[in-house]
Amino acid sequence: MSLDAVALEVMAHAFASVAEEMGLVLIHSALSPNIRERRDCSAALFDAQGEMIAQAAHIPVHLGAMADAVAAVRAQSHAPQPRPGEIFLLNDPYTGGTHLPDLTLVGAIDADGQIGGYSVVRAHHSDVGGMQPGSMPAGARDLFAEGIVIPPVRLTPDVERLVLANVRTPVMRHGDLAAQRAAVERGAEGLRALAARYGWDGVRAATRDLMDYAERRTRAGLAALPAASSGGGQATDWMEGDGVTESDLPIAVRVEIREGVFHADFTGTAPAGPGNVNCPLAVTRSAVLFVVRTLLAEDVPMNAGVQRAVRVSAPDGCLVSARWPSAVAAGNVETSQRITDVVFLALARAGVPVPAQGQGTMNNVTLGGGGSGTGGVWTYYETIGGGQGAGPHGPGPSGVHVGMSNTRNTPVEVLELECPVRVARYELRLGSGGAGKWLGGDGVVREFEALASFEASLLTDRRRHAPRGAAGGGDGALGRNLLNDRPLPAKGAVRLAPGDVLRIETPGGGGWGKATRERSER
Amino acid sequence: MSCRVGVDVGGTFTDLVGLAGDGAIEVRKVVSTPEDPAVGLFRALDEFETRESGSGKREPVDVLVHGTTVATNALLERRGAKVVLVTTAGFEDLLWLRRQDRADLYDLARDHPAPPLARERVVGVAERMGPNGPLLPLTDAEVARVAHAVREVAPPAEAVAVALLFAFRHPLHEQRLAAALRAALPRVPVAASHEILPVFREYERTSTTVAEAYLRPVVGPYVARTDGEARRRGVCELRIMTSSGGTLAPEAAASHAAALALSGPAGGVVGARLVGEAVGITDLLTLDMGGTSADASLVSRGAALFETAGVVGGVPLALPAVLIETVSAGGGSIAWVDDGGALRVGPRSAGAVPGPACYDRGGTEPTVTDACVALGWLDPAHPLADAVRLDGAAAEQALGAVARRLDCDVAGAAAGIVEIVAAVMARALKRVSVARGVDPRRLALLPFGGAGGLFGCALADTLGMRTVVVPPHPGVLSALGLAAAAARVDLVASLHLPLAALNARALEEAYAPLAARAGAELPEATLHRLADCRVAGQGYEVTVSVVDPDPAALRAAFLTAHRARYGFADADQPVEVVNVRVVAERPVATPEFGVNRTRRTLTPRHRTVRIHGQPVPADVWPLEGLPPGHPIAGPAVLAGADATVLLESGWVATVHACGALIAERR
Repeated sequence: MSLDAVALEVMAHAFASVAEEMGLVLIHSALSPNIRERRDCSAALFDAQGEMIAQAAHIPVHLGAMADAVAAVRAQSHAPQPRPGEIFLLNDPYTGGTHLPDLTLVGAIDADGQIGGYSVVRAHHSDVGGMQPGSMPAGARDLFAEGIVIPPVRLTPDVERLVLANVRTPVMRHGDLAAQRAAVERGAEGLRALAARYGWDGVRAATRDLMDYAERRTRAGLAALPAASSGGGQATDWMEGDGVTESDLPIAVRVEIREGVFHADFTGTAPAGPGNVNCPLAVTRSAVLFVVRTLLAEDVPMNAGVQRAVRVSAPDGCLVSARWPSAVAAGNVETSQRITDVVFLALARAGVPVPAQGQGTMNNVTLGGGGSGTGGVWTYYETIGGGQGAGPHGPGPSGVHVGMSNTRNTPVEVLELECPVRVARYELRLGSGGAGKWLGGDGVVREFEALASFEASLLTDRRRHAPRGAAGGGDGALGRNLLNDRPLPAKGAVRLAPGDVLRIETPGGGGWGKATRERSER
Repeated sequence: MSCRVGVDVGGTFTDLVGLAGDGAIEVRKVVSTPEDPAVGLFRALDEFETRESGSGKREPVDVLVHGTTVATNALLERRGAKVVLVTTAGFEDLLWLRRQDRADLYDLARDHPAPPLARERVVGVAERMGPNGPLLPLTDAEVARVAHAVREVAPPAEAVAVALLFAFRHPLHEQRLAAALRAALPRVPVAASHEILPVFREYERTSTTVAEAYLRPVVGPYVARTDGEARRRGVCELRIMTSSGGTLAPEAAASHAAALALSGPAGGVVGARLVGEAVGITDLLTLDMGGTSADASLVSRGAALFETAGVVGGVPLALPAVLIETVSAGGGSIAWVDDGGALRVGPRSAGAVPGPACYDRGGTEPTVTDACVALGWLDPAHPLADAVRLDGAAAEQALGAVARRLDCDVAGAAAGIVEIVAAVMARALKRVSVARGVDPRRLALLPFGGAGGLFGCALADTLGMRTVVVPPHPGVLSALGLAAAAARVDLVASLHLPLAALNARALEEAYAPLAARAGAELPEATLHRLADCRVAGQGYEVTVSVVDPDPAALRAAFLTAHRARYGFADADQPVEVVNVRVVAERPVATPEFGVNRTRRTLTPRHRTVRIHGQPVPADVWPLEGLPPGHPIAGPAVLAGADATVLLESGWVATVHACGALIAERR
């Protein structure tokens, strides 16, 4: 059975609608600011073979890597195979996860006693234990320092108790997990409702055809790019230390497009480091997939079909294909950004008109304190937007998340109502975008004043190597981290006393083209 | 004899519905006049007042209710006032930082629409409120400096927005600044965030306050001029529709300009609710399908649903508005084949100009309306409202291009187009129902607008719904809703207290100031108390009705609503009351509708139409003037003056006494 052009479009709307509902349920009922305000979470629907059918457009780094979570659940070797109606929990970066705070729920959808597909919801929890509140510790040297490691397990009440006993904010985690579970169940209901209308055979035919369609569109789009005939390109970019060492860690890639398939080979990349900028290959694939998706027409549905036209390889044990038990907290949020940067750069060298580099970091700020007799334990996590790179047709947007993140801010009024922190300043960093015919986007200034003693952990990058301009455009300004006006390293933990001010200045985006007049256009 | 008139100004037509005291409904449709919408409004009124009574002018109109797109268009086209924003120093860029997410996940060049003022027009104030009160006091010297700085901004301020951090809880600094600015600039409207939207989240509150300032100098004069003109013509009272589905007096509308942003679609939902009431159905999914877009909404237990987070023309507005989910699916939506070989419909629309190819006004691209003509749903022999005749050959020619790319015939392409546009609308209907935990299978679908009735059966089947209610005069239901809309005031105050800390008396006290204000602003109104609640720590509130101010009852109501919406509710978690709301409504007499006294028997004509790709012989009935109780079995087409209804096979409809058509799945 093959769907015609009409049924294809009808089913694409139907699946997308289910994924949207899952996302809404999670965001509207979750407890932590990181999920409900910043929307650091993603929802997607998979078929019974573990291929993604549809996603709610949330966070790129989540979406590309969620197929690995389903694969890990399906491949469980030490437990009975998943049964219809069961829900699994995982966060192990080496078994389907990305980094430990991303707790992922995988629901096996009951289709008349068979598994009809998987409903998957990933959300970044602002504490999963480990050496520092917030579980994004700069200076971690192995996975165990970063929090509790959860391989794919059935989410029973006992498992939940075990997890909650290992985190600093169990009440909030419990609430967020309940919201995640509700979202997973909404996805299952949605797919069952479609099956009730079209039959499971109809749903299966639709998923297969939609994936084939997306693959067809992807291959056609890729084959039409200049890089498809230019022989490809290569590039190297650097991570600025890993929280343990300060030295630059190169990420090298060679990109080729052959017969409509995108190949990215990371040979030449540094070996995994002692700190936590390492990432599993799932994150690397996800970053490459993101770049590929930006090259395609807007209306190509994002499903497993796109993935089929992307091949990623990296030496085992390198920075972008780390092995257990390398620490990975920053790999997901920072190294993933650099991977997109370096792949874009290689594409530019192959003649593809991609934008200049954006801020290339998420500027992860994790705060937390309390306990030991001082009242409730609290943790808070946020990332800060910056400048987007300018493109051939216009300036780069200012004050936005670039690349693998697309979270929102936490409103100042929410942060101050809930944490002993005052935001002293929150503004655009004017003039930080790179010069050019088109200006790069400006970065952001955010100042946190401590109202109590607490610990702050920073995982940032682009404090040494600026976001590069393109086609003769200038570089974006470097980011800066300051404690009471004194510079801090890109990655590290500091203790704040009441009255201390932590100031984060995020990088600007690169400019595009040579400035032809006194003032550039914007 | 009393007479209420509703006038809905749309992009193409201005619709007027008059409700006479005896229940008679009269309809006028004139071409809209976008350069000055009031011209079309009064032309429609002139036609209404003179033509029908023949022998001369009728009784003057008692109440004229106006649904206006003046505010909407000013936001969409960025034609509002030159605003100056006064805000806490250090946070001047809030409107440009937005919520920090980018405009599109994968299109890296795309930026958000620019805020409605230039960054140079923001004045920072040295002051700071925190969660518990002043952190940095506002000095008199600073107030004077700010007033001076605002006066110095060039070009001069036409309106001022004041939005300071934590003003929803501690408005003192805002109050002092607003007073000083009003004194310094007596002719310039000043909107303060604690007056416009006293709730937390600074970006949304600031954006809404700026929108209010931006719109006041547009809305105020328009409303005043319309009011003057209406009075000159003997209209006793003009009222303006708001986004929340109630009406305001002209003076009040002028100072709630941002509340008019969805004035147009709100009328349709009110009309749908009234028709539901008339036929005894209180739970409805509504769908208004016009020329360029379709609006879905939900009526639950006889009341429209509200939400408080919306975006109009790229400007976030956090004011209460009737829940509307808009999708690009209208009669003018253009069909095309993408480079992967899939048939697509919209979002581009042929609009009123050049219009669908079958309008023969220069349009050459195939639209949904062209598909409906090719399928025989619309009859070229039956002229549309403004004497537009449909050209079947032009429709087929336009569809031919798509058919060739799909390698099928014209009928196949047309069938595909209507199926896709139905899928797009089904998604909007699901967003207002399934996504909110409401099962559409227990609701009736009420389609309206010129094209809504063509898709009622197909959409109901997609969503598993068994009843479709086609209202009387489906093409002008929005104007009907306006004519019958209640006067309404929406008030909100921030509370942010755990429910456990509140007893009945404290709750009562929280509502007292709002109730007093509502009583003053709208005397003799019915007051409804509502509370925005959440589990402590959640970021989104669920609004529940507070029947009596009992914390235990409120808690139970919240948990029930939470379970309905999200599928779970944790009874152990502490509940917080974030905001309290009072809605004051003064309803007008529900229209009797035109009591249908037709007795004549009719015989249908016949025509072949294509449904789901198959040619079927269908009965063709007139939509108006069928006697009550008259049964019609699908497949059938009911052609009216301003709308056409398609009744598919398996559906049987009965004419209701009020003129509505009630179709049931058999």
